[in-house]
Amino acid sequence: MRDGAGDILVALGLMFAPLSLLSFGGGNAVLADIATQSIAVHHWTSRREFADLFALSRAAPGPGSMLAALIGWQAAGIAGALVATLSFYLPGAVLVYGAARVWGRWRGSPWHAAVERGMAPIAAGLLVSGGIAVLRASPAGWPEWAAALIATVALLRWPRLHPVPLLLGGAALFLLLAVL
Amino acid sequence: MTGAERNPAPPAIGFAPLVAAFLRLGGTSFGGGTAGWLHREMVLRRGWIDEQSFFAMLALGQVMPGSNGVKMTVLIGERLHGAAGAAAALAGLLAVPFAIVLALGAVYAGYGEHPLVHAMLDGVAAAVIGLTFASGLHGLVRGAPGLAAWAIAGATVLCVGVLRWPLLPVVAGLAPLSVGLAFAAARRG
Repeated sequence: MRDGAGDILVALGLMFAPLSLLSFGGGNAVLADIATQSIAVHHWTSRREFADLFALSRAAPGPGSMLAALIGWQAAGIAGALVATLSFYLPGAVLVYGAARVWGRWRGSPWHAAVERGMAPIAAGLLVSGGIAVLRASPAGWPEWAAALIATVALLRWPRLHPVPLLLGGAALFLLLAVL
Repeated sequence: MTGAERNPAPPAIGFAPLVAAFLRLGGTSFGGGTAGWLHREMVLRRGWIDEQSFFAMLALGQVMPGSNGVKMTVLIGERLHGAAGAAAALAGLLAVPFAIVLALGAVYAGYGEHPLVHAMLDGVAAAVIGLTFASGLHGLVRGAPGLAAWAIAGATVLCVGVLRWPLLPVVAGLAPLSVGLAFAAARRG
């Protein structure tokens, strides 16, 4: 039993630490990979649980996603939550700390600007892919897709719209659909 | 322009106020988009970081992996209090959300089987996915206009989102292509 728990902690670290260094454009960029690994590869969550944990992680405040904490918690309790969270945030944090120290030398060079411009569409594509991955994992089907698209249009139309009323509105709408 | 002119020395901020500020930020920044919350708090409200430095940091973050909020927290913490400031700011930012999300998880473990809980969480998830799509499209329109950028973004969505190929080879393949195209475009015009 103890060995099993230790193995899971190692597996959590080995899964989240590389993703930390791959999440260009933010934590959502690796959502597709987190979904595949948690559901299909490691069987830490069912599809239903993954969809629920994703929503829970967004109901909490904080940077991007506390999804790593919830997946780790589901897989191996509090220790799992700590290992997953630290693995997911520390490598990227150390990297950006190091980069801050050498950044001055790069600024203004033409390839630096090219890297920034070149990475932007990939980051944007990864964001959209992450949303698609969660929609596919969700058992709610087409109402979920429709509601997500309505929210997208609303946010693009009104950029200053605060997200929290939108989250509450989504919860209320689906609660109503379930009761009717 | 010298570096000193571009980046005036940050005002002296005590260590305790720094930690308190990031604890508060972690506990209140609902709905993601932590970089936006940081901008409001650090630049507009407290004036700990000037506008120009903030956006220089954000640009640096663009080419680095990780959540924007975490990257900005490390950079601001480093600027205000060095390595210890970066570590303390990050710990402060993560501590409250970590506790809240596990509390929510514990509640879910107790009531998660209830179908109405599933329905509500589906509704929350749909709204958040809308937020994600909107950010992606926003980034594409404002951060990388042009046909080549749309093609690269489309290829990324096709490979990762639709075909479900693993992230690493897709990014490793598309990144040099996309950066090369941007470089060529800059040379031409």
